Amino acid sequence: MGSVYLKNIIRFFFLVFFQVLILNNIRFGGYINPYFYIYFILLLPFDTPRLFLMLASFILGLTIDLFVNTPGLNAAACVFMAFSRPFVIRSISTGTAFQPGSSPSLNNQGIKWFAYYSVILVLLHHFLFFYLEVFRLSEFFHTFARVIFSSIFTLLLIWISEYLFYKREK
Amino acid sequence: MRYLLYFLRRHYFYFLFLLLEVISLVLVFNYNEFQNSALSRFSGNLSGAVLSLSSDIYEYFSLRRTNKILAEDNANLKSDLREAFYKVDTHSFYRKDTFYKLEYNYISAKVISNSTNKRNNFLMLNKGSLHGIENHMGVIIGNRIVGQVVSVSRYFSWVMSVLNKNSKISAKFSKNNQLVNIEWTGGNYRIGEVREIPKHVVIVKGDTIISSGNSDIYPEGLIIGTIEDFTIASDENFNYATLRFSTDFNSLSYVEVVIDRMHKEKEALKASFKPSN
Repeated sequence: MGSVYLKNIIRFFFLVFFQVLILNNIRFGGYINPYFYIYFILLLPFDTPRLFLMLASFILGLTIDLFVNTPGLNAAACVFMAFSRPFVIRSISTGTAFQPGSSPSLNNQGIKWFAYYSVILVLLHHFLFFYLEVFRLSEFFHTFARVIFSSIFTLLLIWISEYLFYKREK
Repeated sequence: MRYLLYFLRRHYFYFLFLLLEVISLVLVFNYNEFQNSALSRFSGNLSGAVLSLSSDIYEYFSLRRTNKILAEDNANLKSDLREAFYKVDTHSFYRKDTFYKLEYNYISAKVISNSTNKRNNFLMLNKGSLHGIENHMGVIIGNRIVGQVVSVSRYFSWVMSVLNKNSKISAKFSKNNQLVNIEWTGGNYRIGEVREIPKHVVIVKGDTIISSGNSDIYPEGLIIGTIEDFTIASDENFNYATLRFSTDFNSLSYVEVVIDRMHKEKEALKASFKPSN
């Protein structure tokens, strides 16, 4: 059990630093900036208490906010994503019980399941994040394009790491 | 009471969600208050320490460019030196005296964090209140604009880039001093928007837009950009144009913070003129 905590804490710091030091410096044509750090929320174990799920996401969002000087922006999007996570999991899983302590992963839940799971949650996060940041209806379609392009890039990173770092658990 | 507690416990998830969202949104929308808070100063120092480390590495990638900008700047300054002038009239002498009073000082600072890909972009500089930087000071690079200081901690300061929703710059046409406003509407970080161009001003592609000096943030005459394209609006009072920024916001490494030594005097004058009631 202790290793689950440790693993997630290390992942938390790794993703924060990866986001802040590397991804925030990536600028493609003004549209694409991936928010890969939300991978942390995707990977929390299935049986994470919902209280902990939300608080951890809130702290994660605030930490990112500290580095980009957007107080509350990432936090709001992350909390919303964490709030939606149990509902998304419930609606796309068909009656299979999850192993205690296991995390959502491409290999264990299958491509289709993980695709639904990651696409829905990443889109929810990005939509709230970008529209809250812009907060202007006059730039609606422009913002929409940013949401889509950034989501694609974020998802790409998430899927690549799924393939790279996770072995099939039998 | 017991039912209330039961109800709260049963649905704590929703209440917690609402609570955290409200906290976040309050932070988002009270952004200006946050900038002046102690929390902001603390987080500024914390994130500054990490970001300055990474900028030490990134700095090497832009050395060539930084050198070029510095060399250009030096050449400009040298041409202002007395040695650069040939004395034509040997009979009269010019003495520097009370005709001139120093208005602007400049502090050089390193950019340790910068973005151009967000709707609201900020820079972090490696100098803060300890070095004399205060809120509302302008930030420039050479004779081009960069942004405005919005939050200062002891060793670091946050600068609101021109590439920000809340940034509005008072500017003018260099050819006829007509006042306009410059904003950034997102997307391409090289392109800004010129607003409120009076109808009678003849716009030509390539016109230079410079800072007006009206806002007390930037000195007058900094080059903001050149007109890229324009539209003549038939049903409105003003025309609009797009402008190509002369600043390349994506490659900033060293910038200068403008210290207006007469800022207090100007503010006092403004305050004294407010109609009393």
